[in-house]
Amino acid sequence: MVSSNKLFEEPGLKQITVWARGVYENKEARDVVVALTEAAAKEGKYVQAWENYVDLPDRIYVPVRAYGKISDQPIESKYVYENETPDIVVLTEETLVKGIDILEGIRPGAVLVVNTKRPAEYLFKFITKGTENLKSIITVDASSLAKSIITLSGAEGATDASGIGKGLGAPLAAAVVKATGIVTFENLLSIIANKQAAKTAYDKAQVVEVKRLVNAG
Amino acid sequence: MSISPNEVPFAGTVPSPKTENEGMITGSWRTRRPILDTDKCTECLICWISCPDSSIKSTTAGMEFNLKYCKGCGICNEVCPVGAISLVPELDFED
Repeated sequence: MVSSNKLFEEPGLKQITVWARGVYENKEARDVVVALTEAAAKEGKYVQAWENYVDLPDRIYVPVRAYGKISDQPIESKYVYENETPDIVVLTEETLVKGIDILEGIRPGAVLVVNTKRPAEYLFKFITKGTENLKSIITVDASSLAKSIITLSGAEGATDASGIGKGLGAPLAAAVVKATGIVTFENLLSIIANKQAAKTAYDKAQVVEVKRLVNAG
Repeated sequence: MSISPNEVPFAGTVPSPKTENEGMITGSWRTRRPILDTDKCTECLICWISCPDSSIKSTTAGMEFNLKYCKGCGICNEVCPVGAISLVPELDFED
């Protein structure tokens, strides 16, 4: 079978994959990609945001994924329903580094954003595969800035009554913007509900280069 | 995550009398690990019968957790009458 990443040559395309725990962080995963893609749409980019159908229906704690695509060209691969070569990987919960191939298929220069209190050095020990293409790890203690919102509102394409970026999604999206500059922080702030958490996360997120972690052993 | 569809058992069921299912390893769902305090444990088997994943075994050495399948739901911690089971963040362990 031809891999779909060889089917489409899209140099301007950035893929965002968010890993979360089923049910209780489902909205947060969705919020990160929706906030980033809505902000990018404001800048005139072509965008897409959706959830992984294979992971659904989710059960409590099961690893689930939400995806986003941002491109300055029209997205040709818009019916490819999984991000096979992500540029940005986000974990809404730190334990996801353990036992799951979160960095599968990442492109060179990819970044990993983790919601954690722990230092990147410690998390890096658990990541066994795909680190050669990883540029940096960004840690942000999003759980201390916002709470996870458990709701079915907004699921399956319905209108989200609780608001985009009301919970954990806001600080995590802010950390992504700090690490990659994929959208401007002002545009992100205009989309998300919990602006204070996003501002604090933008200031406090720690960026650690993987090169330094490898050299340190 | 990435196993062939043929390997996934229909509706997640396992033919009896198998107790383990390689197609449905759920240990990666766990965010908190159950830890047993053997001094407090009376081996009353309430955790054993309550575990939804049958991940607790009663052995001659006491109760044992099967961490390959334990999802970290915390029911054992909840039902233990003597408070012998505590939940510790999974990332505190390096294995």
